[in-house]
Amino acid sequence: MNRVRSLCLCVFFLTSPRSASHSQDASPGVDPSSAAKESLLDLEGALLPLRDPLATHAASPPFRDVTAQSGIVFAHHSAPEKKYIVESMSGGVALFDYDNDGRLDVYLVDALTVDTAKDPMAARSALFRNLGNMKFQDVTDKAGVGHPGWGMGVCVADIDADGCQDLYVTALGGNRLYRNNHDGTFSDATARSGLAGGGWSTGCGFADYDKDGDLDLFVSRYVKIDLDRLPEFGKGKTCEYRGIPVQCGPRGLPGEGDFLFRNDGDLRFTDVSVAAGVNDPRGYFGLGLAWLDFDADGWLDLFVANDSTANFLYVNQKNGTFKEQAFPLGVAVSEDGAEQGSMGVAVGDYDGSGRLSLFVTNFSEEYNAFYRNEGTHFTDVSFRSGTAASSLPYVGWGTALFDYDNDGRLDIIVVNGHVYPQLDRAKLGASAPYRQKRLFYRNLGGGKFAEVTDEFGAVLTEPRVSRGLAFGDLDDDGRLDLVINDLDGPPQVLHNELEPAGQWLMVKLTGKGHNTNAMGALVTVRAGGTTQLRDVRSGTSYISQDDMRAHFGLGKATQADSVEVRWPDGTTTRMENVKAGQVLTIAQR
Amino acid sequence: MKRAPAALALLALAASPAGAQTGTRGPGVARKRGPATAREAAPSLDALLAQAQAAAEGGRTEEAARLLRTAAERFSSVRALLQLGHLQAAQKDAKGALASLAQARALAPNSEDVLSTYAQLALAVRAPAPAIGALEPLTRMCPSVGRHHYLLGVALMQAGAIASSVDALRQARALEPDRPLTLVALGLALNNRKLYAEAREVLLRALELEPANVEGLAALAESEEGQGELAAAEEHARRALDQAEANPTANLVMGMLRMKQERHADARDALLRALAADPESPKALYLLSLVYARLGEETASETYRAAYQKQLRVVEERVERIRREGGLAGGGERQ
Repeated sequence: MNRVRSLCLCVFFLTSPRSASHSQDASPGVDPSSAAKESLLDLEGALLPLRDPLATHAASPPFRDVTAQSGIVFAHHSAPEKKYIVESMSGGVALFDYDNDGRLDVYLVDALTVDTAKDPMAARSALFRNLGNMKFQDVTDKAGVGHPGWGMGVCVADIDADGCQDLYVTALGGNRLYRNNHDGTFSDATARSGLAGGGWSTGCGFADYDKDGDLDLFVSRYVKIDLDRLPEFGKGKTCEYRGIPVQCGPRGLPGEGDFLFRNDGDLRFTDVSVAAGVNDPRGYFGLGLAWLDFDADGWLDLFVANDSTANFLYVNQKNGTFKEQAFPLGVAVSEDGAEQGSMGVAVGDYDGSGRLSLFVTNFSEEYNAFYRNEGTHFTDVSFRSGTAASSLPYVGWGTALFDYDNDGRLDIIVVNGHVYPQLDRAKLGASAPYRQKRLFYRNLGGGKFAEVTDEFGAVLTEPRVSRGLAFGDLDDDGRLDLVINDLDGPPQVLHNELEPAGQWLMVKLTGKGHNTNAMGALVTVRAGGTTQLRDVRSGTSYISQDDMRAHFGLGKATQADSVEVRWPDGTTTRMENVKAGQVLTIAQR
Repeated sequence: MKRAPAALALLALAASPAGAQTGTRGPGVARKRGPATAREAAPSLDALLAQAQAAAEGGRTEEAARLLRTAAERFSSVRALLQLGHLQAAQKDAKGALASLAQARALAPNSEDVLSTYAQLALAVRAPAPAIGALEPLTRMCPSVGRHHYLLGVALMQAGAIASSVDALRQARALEPDRPLTLVALGLALNNRKLYAEAREVLLRALELEPANVEGLAALAESEEGQGELAAAEEHARRALDQAEANPTANLVMGMLRMKQERHADARDALLRALAADPESPKALYLLSLVYARLGEETASETYRAAYQKQLRVVEERVERIRREGGLAGGGERQ
């Protein structure tokens, strides 16, 4: 595959006062001189050639499992019997460019078990550096990000505005902030930052909720767990499923509140959860989350998927506080008013409306909820869209709204897997087994989707127990790839080799000030008579991190008529007649 | 989520006391004679039953009950106990009725008539756990009797064990494919599980057999609404409402349709009618909270939301209690 490396960018080495202490840390992976080049590139972007169809694989089905040859050797750990709920919920996956070489690297979160809880070295999360050509190298030990404890989820942002991505890992017993040292290593900055959190954290996401220009952090939490006083397996009414003894919870166990940390600069954060009104005093069981400006008022709102309890949609009040409005806005529960076991969240403009809708994965016997954004509220279109009925047997986790075939329409993937391995021995008839297939929905347009999982062959139909999922273009060929973190097993790297795929455009934003990721920016592309909207987000899917670049499938259009960016501060940048088949970098002036 | 109104409508039909009028063929029938039978002058069992029937027909229910108790005591008569149970049920003495039938069941534990009557009566007084306790052995004893599977399905639906209910009703349908009551019950259960495509197919068949079945029409409208076939849903909901304007399911469907059409005031009115017909419906309460939010009436929205959340807990506790009483397994939801 032809691939022109993007420039090594630490854009704000030269501009950010906060980065001064790091500006001398040049390393083979980070070329400070390139920052100057980048500032000159500005709107012209870093152009990549159009994809040559002949240079790509001719493969059907579209995704090929390349894990074995990729160099990604990793095994997530969990106790085989999953006697405790804490052994069922990990872990996330992040796709991000840690060394600014222009290629997406992969971070997979590992977990401890009740038996190994006192030995943090028993679990090894792992960072794999992208070498190009879908080859990866384990750089965990050098990077120093292998042992965050009992890991759960992950999210990424350049929180100190030095132009390099920092890594935040949620965990049971305290989270970890790994600050990027620009030399292929990270430092543990948890204590200094005040971001340890504590308890059982799950989801996380950075965003500038107060529009002060820097990135704040929301962390969802799940259940209060005391490893010395664990609920006894199979004992009690909330410890059985269809009459068979299983792990207890989450119902029947006390939930934990959530955290919002405000960035006060100098890598220090303050817990403002209570003042902001997002602390969840009732202790709902928080998992996946997504920052999104659902009402397009220029202020980021926050959706939190809560397991077995009503979801939250915190509407930004533009004064540092939020108002929880999930019920009146129609995203708290199912269309029947049933609280669902919500896990993962995908966000996207699936219908070309210019509004961001929500897709939420749920437990078995429930349907995955698709909430269409109507501008002022959401409508549950799950069944109408064709995505609900097929989801009923499965326990859904990671999910994405992404355009796998570059036709300009966002498709959907859901990875599944039960939480009770005991199901397989109990032989519960029609009930879905412990290991479950994935679900893939092709967007047909007009708000309709078709479930096409079987067309993708074994990579999606082979039963697995999956959790985290992230999408991104690992080889910059314009076709989005997938990485899936399975519970208690190896991950999957699925390379998108679809032929023919449509034209594409990828937009990488570089914000000014302290939000170098341009987190919260909206990118609108008009091409071939259609309009598509994407946003830039930290933390999504099931406690995972997608590629932060905005990807657009252009179908047959060889150029975008216009590309418009609404930056987080409300300013806009507009470009016209942008050639397809490139990773376009746009820096905010 | 409970589907009380539709299930109860079926139950009313299901509980027609066919079993109660049949003889008692079980092994426990007058199997042993108590000490009182030694008294030659005492009236016979048949005489006592006849007197009781006459008393009941004459409106002298207390006398009828006394006579039936006497008959039951003297002759260990299962038939007397069954009739007593029915009399008590008619007097809304559910506890007494079930106690009488439990006695009959103790005397004739393997009697098809006793188990069936016991179950029907339990269902009629909204006691699904004891009904299931009778119907599960009954369906094993008589696996080819569709009606028993049907009753088990209805009982399981009432207990909130919807997945098991669907299994039982599918079995009932396999045995009696053209029984509208079974088909409608199966359609309702499938709707409850959101299996709208299968529900629609089943309900269309039910309506072929019984075109004016109101519950069938309303349930079909719900399936169609779930599948996004809004015009068909409206037509069938309208036809149901033409026959029964208070039908809760049809009004609920109309409310949902109007919400999708952004006709929020009309949605509110339909949902209020649904709620009036079924005041315990969390779904109607939830949708009302939504529609009031759309109408900008925050206070009303919050009021209905609070009522919905309260009712949700009530339903959950009721289902949990039923399951506990009946020793039933959960329905598959996340604990």
